[in-house]
Amino acid sequence: MSEKPVTGERRVFMTGNEVCAWAALAAEADIMYGYPITPQTDIMQYWTRLAPKFGRKFLQTEDEISAGFTTIGGVLAGKRAFSATTGPGNVLFQEPMSMAEMMRIPTVVIIPQRGGPSTATVIYSQQEVTMTAFGGNGEGFRIVYSTAGHQDLYDYTIKAFNTAWKYRFPTFVLGDGYQAKMREPLTIYDPAQRGIQMVKTEPLVGLEGTPGRDRPTQYLRNTYNTEEELYEVVMEIARDFEKAAPEIVEWQDFDTDKEMDVLILAHGVVSRSAQGALPLLREQGIRAGHFRPITLRPMPEEQMRRAAAKAKRILVVESAYGQLLKLVQQSLYGLAKPIDTLLRPGAGVTAEEIADQVKEGR
Amino acid sequence: MAIRMVLAGEGGQGVQIIANILAESANAEGKEAIYIPNFGVEQRGGVSIAFVQIDDQRINSPKFPKADIVVALSNRAVNRTRQYVDGRTTFIYDNSLVAAAEIGAKVMGIQAVEADPRSQRQTEAVDDSKKRDQVELPGEAANIIGIPANDIAKNELHPRVFNIIVLGTLLKATEVVPLDRIKEAIEEKLGDKFAKNQALRELNYKALDKGMSLVDRLV
Repeated sequence: MSEKPVTGERRVFMTGNEVCAWAALAAEADIMYGYPITPQTDIMQYWTRLAPKFGRKFLQTEDEISAGFTTIGGVLAGKRAFSATTGPGNVLFQEPMSMAEMMRIPTVVIIPQRGGPSTATVIYSQQEVTMTAFGGNGEGFRIVYSTAGHQDLYDYTIKAFNTAWKYRFPTFVLGDGYQAKMREPLTIYDPAQRGIQMVKTEPLVGLEGTPGRDRPTQYLRNTYNTEEELYEVVMEIARDFEKAAPEIVEWQDFDTDKEMDVLILAHGVVSRSAQGALPLLREQGIRAGHFRPITLRPMPEEQMRRAAAKAKRILVVESAYGQLLKLVQQSLYGLAKPIDTLLRPGAGVTAEEIADQVKEGR
Repeated sequence: MAIRMVLAGEGGQGVQIIANILAESANAEGKEAIYIPNFGVEQRGGVSIAFVQIDDQRINSPKFPKADIVVALSNRAVNRTRQYVDGRTTFIYDNSLVAAAEIGAKVMGIQAVEADPRSQRQTEAVDDSKKRDQVELPGEAANIIGIPANDIAKNELHPRVFNIIVLGTLLKATEVVPLDRIKEAIEEKLGDKFAKNQALRELNYKALDKGMSLVDRLV
C-alpha cells in the first residue's frame, strides 16, 4: 500500500493531466478534493484511479466553492492537500483562496486554463493570469508557477507543495488546456532521489495540550474587528511575502546576454513559441531574445528589467488580452522602451506568428 | 527533421487512434513527439481533428500554421483542414467517402456554396444532392492521394480497420515512422485484445499492408 509510486527515473509519454496526478503522488500528496470541469477533470480521474493503490484519498465535493474550502480543511488537518480547477471553477475558488491568503494556508491548486470570459471554450487560453495571481478580495499573496510543458508540470507540481508549506502561501500551478490534453515525453522521477525533500506538513488545528499553557495559542482568523487590527495583519503578510519573493521567483532567458533589437516576453506554453521564433528571426538578421517569467506571482521584476534594458523594444505575446502585459508594464515602469504586443485571447500562438509580428513591428 | 501532421475525420472513424499510434511510435523511436486531440464542442457531432508533431529536437509550439501531411476522411474534414495545406503538403483523403469536385471545375463548386440558398432552392423533382455535397480538394497541395479505404475495409476486411488502412497509406507515402515501431505501438494498444483473439492481430496487419499497397511512391 505504501510503496513509492515513482522509483528511479523513467521516460514516459502521457497527457499533462496524467502528469499532474503522478507528480502529486510523487510529492506525497495525501488527498485531492475536486469538482469536475473540462479540461481539468482527467486529473481527478487519474488521481482516483492511482491514489487508492498508494493509500491516498479523494473527495468529490458538490461544487468548486466546497472543493476550495475542503482543500483548506485538509491542510488544516495537516494533510498535503490539493485541488484542480479552471475557468468558471477558478472563479468560485476565489473565495476559499482569499481565506487561504488571510490565514496563510498552504493549499495547492492546479489550473489548466480554458477560454473566457464565462463558459467560453474548454480548449485553451492564458486568460486566468489576473484571477489566479490576484483574484479574491485580497492583495494577491499567492505564488503562481506558469508551466510550459509536461516536464514543468511534473517539476512544478512537486515544487508547489514545498513552496506552499515552506512559505505558507496558497500556491498555484498554472497550465492550460493544451498542456492538459496533449501527450509529450517527459521524465518522471522520485523527488528524494534527486535530493528533493518534501517539506514536512503539520496540523494547524486540534493540536495537543491546552493553548496558552502547554503551547502557544494558534490564531487562525479571517475576521477582524478594527481597521488597525486588520491593517497590522495584512501588513505582516505583505512583509512576509516581499521577504520571500526573491527566494521564490523563477525565470528563464534565451539569448538575452547581448544587445537585442527586440525582447520577446511570454509565459507558459507561449514561451515555447517565443523560443521557436528566435532562430527564425536570427535567419533574418534580427537580434531577438526571450524572457520567460516562470513565477507570475511574485514576478521576477529585477531579472526582467535587466533583460529589457538591453533591448531596443519589447514584444509581449500572450493568449489573453493584456493580462501578462499589465504585469510587464508594472515591472518595467520607468524603463523607456516601446512595447509592442501580440495579444490573442483564448487562441494559440505559433513561432511563425511571433516572428511575423516582430518583423511588422520594426 | 520536423514533421507536422493534421488528421481529421468524423467521430468514430478513429483518427485520434492513428494520431496516438504515430506519436507513441515516434516517442518509442527516441524522437520528440506531441499529440493534441481536439476536445472542444466539435467532439460532439463535429469533425474530430488531431495534431501530431515529430522532431529530432525539442518541439516548440504545440500548434502550427501549415502541415506536411494532412489526412481528411470526410467532406467536412476536408474543409476543416484546408487552412493547414500549402505548397509543401501531402494531402491524403478517402475517395470512397469524400465526394471531390473536379479540381479543374472550381467555379461550379464555388457557385453552389456561395449562392444564397434561399434563391437556389430546388424543386423536389430535381435531386442535386450529389453536386451539393461535393467538396473541393485543396489544389495547392504538393501531392494529393486519394484512397478508397472505407470501401476496402467494408468489402475486403472489416469496417473497424478502416483507420489502420489509412495509417498504412500514410506510412508508405511518407515514411514518417518505421513500420516496426508502428506494429509495436499497435501491439501495445491492442495486445490484450489480440491475446484473446489472434485473428484480430492478423486483421490489423493485413489492413496495414493493404493501406501500404494503395500507394506506390514516396512523396
